[in-house]
Amino acid sequence: MHGPEIQWYVILSAILFTTGALGVMLRRSPLIILLSVEIMLNAANLLLIAFSRLHGREDGQIFAISVMAVAASEVVVGLGLIVAMGRRHVDLDVDKLRTLRG
Amino acid sequence: MIDAAAWVCLLLPLASAIAITLAGTRVSRRLTGYVSTITTMGAFAAAVVAFIGLLGESPEDRTHTTTAWTWLSAGPYHFGLTLLTDQLSVVMMLIVTGVGSLIIAYSLGYMDREDEERRFFAYMSLFVFSMLLLVQANNLLILLAGWGMVGLSSYLLIGFYQERPVAIAAAKKAFVMNAFGDATMALALFLLIEHTGQLDYAGVFATSPQSGTAANLIALGLLGGAVAKSAQVPLHTWLPDAMEGPTPVSALIHAATMVTAGVYLIVRCHTLFENAYIVEDLAAALGAITLVMAGLIALVQTDIKKVIAYSTMSQIGYMFVGAGLGAYPNAMFHLMTHAFFKALLFLAAGIAIHALTGEQDIRRLAGVGKLMPYTKIVFLIGTLALVGIFPFAGFFSKDSILAASLDRGWYGATIFVIGVVGALLTGLYAFRLYFVVFTGEPSPFAREHYHAHQGKEGPVSMLWTVGVLAVLSCVGGLLQFAPFWDPLSKWLDPVDAPIATATSWEEWFASGLSLSAGLLGIFIAWSIYAAKRRPAPKPVKLFEKKFYWDELYDLVWYRSTESLTRGLYAFVERPLIAGSLTAVTSAFGLGSRELSTAQNGLVRSYALALAGGIAVLAVVFLAAR
Repeated sequence: MHGPEIQWYVILSAILFTTGALGVMLRRSPLIILLSVEIMLNAANLLLIAFSRLHGREDGQIFAISVMAVAASEVVVGLGLIVAMGRRHVDLDVDKLRTLRG
Repeated sequence: MIDAAAWVCLLLPLASAIAITLAGTRVSRRLTGYVSTITTMGAFAAAVVAFIGLLGESPEDRTHTTTAWTWLSAGPYHFGLTLLTDQLSVVMMLIVTGVGSLIIAYSLGYMDREDEERRFFAYMSLFVFSMLLLVQANNLLILLAGWGMVGLSSYLLIGFYQERPVAIAAAKKAFVMNAFGDATMALALFLLIEHTGQLDYAGVFATSPQSGTAANLIALGLLGGAVAKSAQVPLHTWLPDAMEGPTPVSALIHAATMVTAGVYLIVRCHTLFENAYIVEDLAAALGAITLVMAGLIALVQTDIKKVIAYSTMSQIGYMFVGAGLGAYPNAMFHLMTHAFFKALLFLAAGIAIHALTGEQDIRRLAGVGKLMPYTKIVFLIGTLALVGIFPFAGFFSKDSILAASLDRGWYGATIFVIGVVGALLTGLYAFRLYFVVFTGEPSPFAREHYHAHQGKEGPVSMLWTVGVLAVLSCVGGLLQFAPFWDPLSKWLDPVDAPIATATSWEEWFASGLSLSAGLLGIFIAWSIYAAKRRPAPKPVKLFEKKFYWDELYDLVWYRSTESLTRGLYAFVERPLIAGSLTAVTSAFGLGSRELSTAQNGLVRSYALALAGGIAVLAVVFLAAR
């Protein structure tokens, strides 16, 4: 098998996931949070593909493609919301968007 | 033939009750009264046929039983729907149907144009049927069924004026008191089944325990039933309240169908009571207490029917004395004469009440005798018979009980003295009533409200029945005059051999003493209420309050229960049960309020919580591995 060992993929995925999680927890802009979520999803995708390659089976890659499809839909909705908020001059700050608190 | 007559006698009143109920408004009110009267008279005729049949047989063969079917089978126990016709039950059948039919015939006039006449006559027929079932039963189970049905009928009739709350309360009181007696009787029957395995009279009397606790408990249970039904101390408080029913009902309860049942029970089951002589003596003692107490209360009552009601209690007390001391024929004799003159007193009082728009207060009825000479005469006959003045009925029967009590040593002698005091009281209260209501000038109320019924004092049906009863009260006592002839005692001897028989000397002594006591009572009543030589004494509070029995029961049963429940509410329910529930709800409320602060709407804090949770889980799983 060519390329780096599996642990490098895992380490990279962990770094990416942590970055995304920290982004979600620390940033206030919904746009950045959306991006951070995408990073976390892709960290998971990376692991899926890496292990798929390690085991020589394709189901991991199929999963990764499904995740991408879901992520794309999510971005469409999320970005649509953000654009709508921007057009209405709503403050793009998640700490202030708490009217649906319940 | 005797068996057929017994069935006819029992079933005719039941058929009448059912027919009137089913016919409803299809028949006229008047017709229901006739149906009820004629069926009861038919029952009387059947009883006479049975009586004549028994007369034609030798004394040993006068016991007839007839079974319709096995009424109840439970394991090894079988109770038949069996009627017993013997010397004792035929006497009761004659009294119940004879006096009962006169009272129902009287009701034709009394209840005329009353609302719900049909219901009244259906109940009256049912009442007579219940009492016949009671006296004709051949086993104690059927007797208990009749016993309960008598209680039911009395409940229905005492509460006949159902729009009056007082009447409903009185009906409930009577029913509850009687239910108490029914319960003690049922307990006695359980004991009898346990010890003898049956309830047929003959078998029970032959095999029941001869002495000991079981015998005492059985007799005590039966005595409880008898005391409740016959309104003796301490279960007597329902009887005066039962005056809320229409007057013929009072007459029926007091003379024919109800209060005599207790005496009948003791006389019928005398073997069981003789096995428990303590309980039998207790019955006599209760009778003695009742007869004096009721006499004292009757002195101060102002309601004409209540005076007569207390006189019934007092006279039933004499019967209990007779039955308790073992003078069974004398008790039955007094039961019979009492049925005559007590029905007479009630029905005569009913004529006055009827003619004066339902007024019952003797102060307002005062002097009505001048307006109603016929009623005055028949009431006087009834009163003389009640007091026991020669030659009226009460003289022969009451004095024979007192004479027999002299035969029972110091215990009997004590009761004899009480009985003589009772005779004095009887003369006093009975003639107080007579002098106040029927002598002197009519009160303004009586003058104003008296209205003759087509020129007579009342409807014909009311007058002739009272006349028959007056004749019976005059001559009924001559049936038995102990020193000279005693056909009733001889007749009853095979079923009820007395254990106390008075000698001729005792008869004369008792008669003389109680007659003088009665005359003394009459003289006192005369000098106070008729001649007005003395001012009327002020009513004694203790008597007016009826010896505080109602208050005592109120205190013992009602108030104690009420305070107990109030205490439980204050110290158990509110702090413990309601309090614990409140604590649980407020704890949940507090917890949810605290928890809801976590839902603050900050997405980032949710994310942090998620991440933290996953981290903790990861550590836990790693550590657990």
